[in-house]
Amino acid sequence: MGLDRCFSIIAGAIDQHLILPVLYRFGWMEWGDLSFNWALVCVYGLFAVILTYAVCWPLEAWRPVEHWPSRKAVLVDIFYTLLNRVGVIPVVTFLLFYQVQTDFTGQLVDMGFIPPTLETLIPGLFGHPLITFGLYALILDFADYWRHRLSHSFRAWYALHALHHAQRQMSFWSDDRNHILDDFISFLWFFAVGLAIGIPPLQFPLLILGLRFMESLSHANIRLSFGPFERLLVSPRFHRLHHAKRAAGRHSCNYGAVFPFWDMIFRTADFSAVWLPTGDAKAPEALATGSYLAQQLTGAKMFAAALARRRHT
Amino acid sequence: MITRRTALSLPLALAAAPAAAQTMLAAPAAAPAPAPIALVMNSGGASVSVIDMTSRQVINTLPTYREPSHWALTPDKREILISDASGNALFAFNPHTAKPLGHVRIADPYQLGYTPDHRYLAVNALRLDHVDFYDATTLKLVKRFNPGKKPSHLDFSPNSRWSFHSLQGSNALASFDLTSLKMRWRVPIGNTPAGVLWHRGRLLVCIMGGNGIVEVDPRNGRILRGQATGRGAHNIFYDEAGQRLYVSNRLGGTLSALDPVTLQVQRNYRIPGGPDDIGIDPAGRIWIARRFAEEVAVMDPATGDYDTIPVGRSPHGIFLSTCLRQTGEITAERL
Ligand SMILES: [Zn+2]
Ligand SMILES: [Zn+2]
Repeated sequence: MGLDRCFSIIAGAIDQHLILPVLYRFGWMEWGDLSFNWALVCVYGLFAVILTYAVCWPLEAWRPVEHWPSRKAVLVDIFYTLLNRVGVIPVVTFLLFYQVQTDFTGQLVDMGFIPPTLETLIPGLFGHPLITFGLYALILDFADYWRHRLSHSFRAWYALHALHHAQRQMSFWSDDRNHILDDFISFLWFFAVGLAIGIPPLQFPLLILGLRFMESLSHANIRLSFGPFERLLVSPRFHRLHHAKRAAGRHSCNYGAVFPFWDMIFRTADFSAVWLPTGDAKAPEALATGSYLAQQLTGAKMFAAALARRRHT
Repeated sequence: MITRRTALSLPLALAAAPAAAQTMLAAPAAAPAPAPIALVMNSGGASVSVIDMTSRQVINTLPTYREPSHWALTPDKREILISDASGNALFAFNPHTAKPLGHVRIADPYQLGYTPDHRYLAVNALRLDHVDFYDATTLKLVKRFNPGKKPSHLDFSPNSRWSFHSLQGSNALASFDLTSLKMRWRVPIGNTPAGVLWHRGRLLVCIMGGNGIVEVDPRNGRILRGQATGRGAHNIFYDEAGQRLYVSNRLGGTLSALDPVTLQVQRNYRIPGGPDDIGIDPAGRIWIARRFAEEVAVMDPATGDYDTIPVGRSPHGIFLSTCLRQTGEITAERL
């Protein structure tokens, strides 16, 4: 049995025995058509976490960049990862925005706009889902480069993103440590992109999983570069330079998540063979070592302060 | 790319020349009938599996954009249209051979059906909360309604005067007058209504948030009686030959066989793996799309035993070309 089918059966069992009974009990069966997809997101997310752990943990133990006396600061990142990857944040965001999204798309459709897909924009792609998927991956990574780069350019936006940079004990768990408002902005960003080019074909969840794995790996505390492939995929060394203390804030480098091409094209790439300490010296201590709630609260306050300051000047 | 016009050239040609159409329709009877096939809409795999019904092997897998789910036969039965909701398209195939005939772009088609008088193609856009009526020959939008949240299933009165749509997110059933294209009524019907079927002058509606179906007076939407079938009653089908009703129960994981007159449950079949839409072959075997199992089950209703055929991810709708031998209206619910 293929891995795909195996995951579908597990997700089906979760849907049948866990999610649907809850929906049924509370009269929420209108979501019964989508709950199987949620279960799939959770199953793949959990598998991604396990896979990342299985690959990165031995590597971090073998060739760490930094040795830490205590790993306590990593715990909160584990919490972020589970919250994000095992589907809680994605599903809640989806539900919160569902009506806004459908109303907005409905209005556009009423005006005669039918959201395209890449295959309708480039008809030759139809029937070649793998190539289509690759092209989507490139475009979405490009969009993410600019989202990330802009989040470093606006004071208020960076006030949210600083949470991601505050971690001084950066590990493969750190990819998902983001302020929840920053997550919402990302969601809106990719919703807008989705309206322009449609959503990617979803029949390759293992590839999606692979891309997410690369994002986790790039944060890992491993003395690892990809040698000749350093210019093809974002390595732990490349992304560590983005997280370096000297690069925190408004003048950073290496914004790419999966592919370094955009940094190369827009001249923000730094391939130096150095391993620098990470963190944001200007960030309040709560952002680095505080609890989940403390980090979220501090981030929100900094965001509000940055907005207020902008209004006064 | 094939345009709206060429994709659906046959119905257009037929509409333009009804006399010629009749001779064209008569012609295939002389040629040897193609081997019967089943088309399975893999909603998570963006593809349609083509199964040789005799060997029970998948002989081809055809691409769609994103999420194929349901089907409708064009009035001349020369094309099967498969809806692709998040791909915003209708894909046309030859229903005998599965030859792709192109696609048209329309917004968010989920469930769809031609009115019995072949005037409109009614489309429920579940995600956008739209009920759309398209001209059956040109596929131009004639009228759009926002009757409530998540319109899911639909059916018509056989005289084409009325259409009925379950509103899954509004716990309501809506009816439209197809002559004036106005809403007739919208009534509360129960928690999360799903499958809708016109049956002997009444309407049967599955109540997915409940444990069975309700019988409704199509004149005013009044509920006449209820019948328990299983938890999460999702869709209802009518076996023209065997005079039986089948209800799939999503939460119970069962398929209930009902007496068409008394609506009493005669038998419950256990179908694990997320049973969804069904088809019935000439031997009376039931072909069931099993969402999670990524298989089609072929069940003998006499014994309840079944064989399985692996298909793509999340199979949803299923079409058996053997139904083309039937005369009269063929829909996904009347098998
Ligand atoms: Zn950054
Ligand atoms: Zn990072």
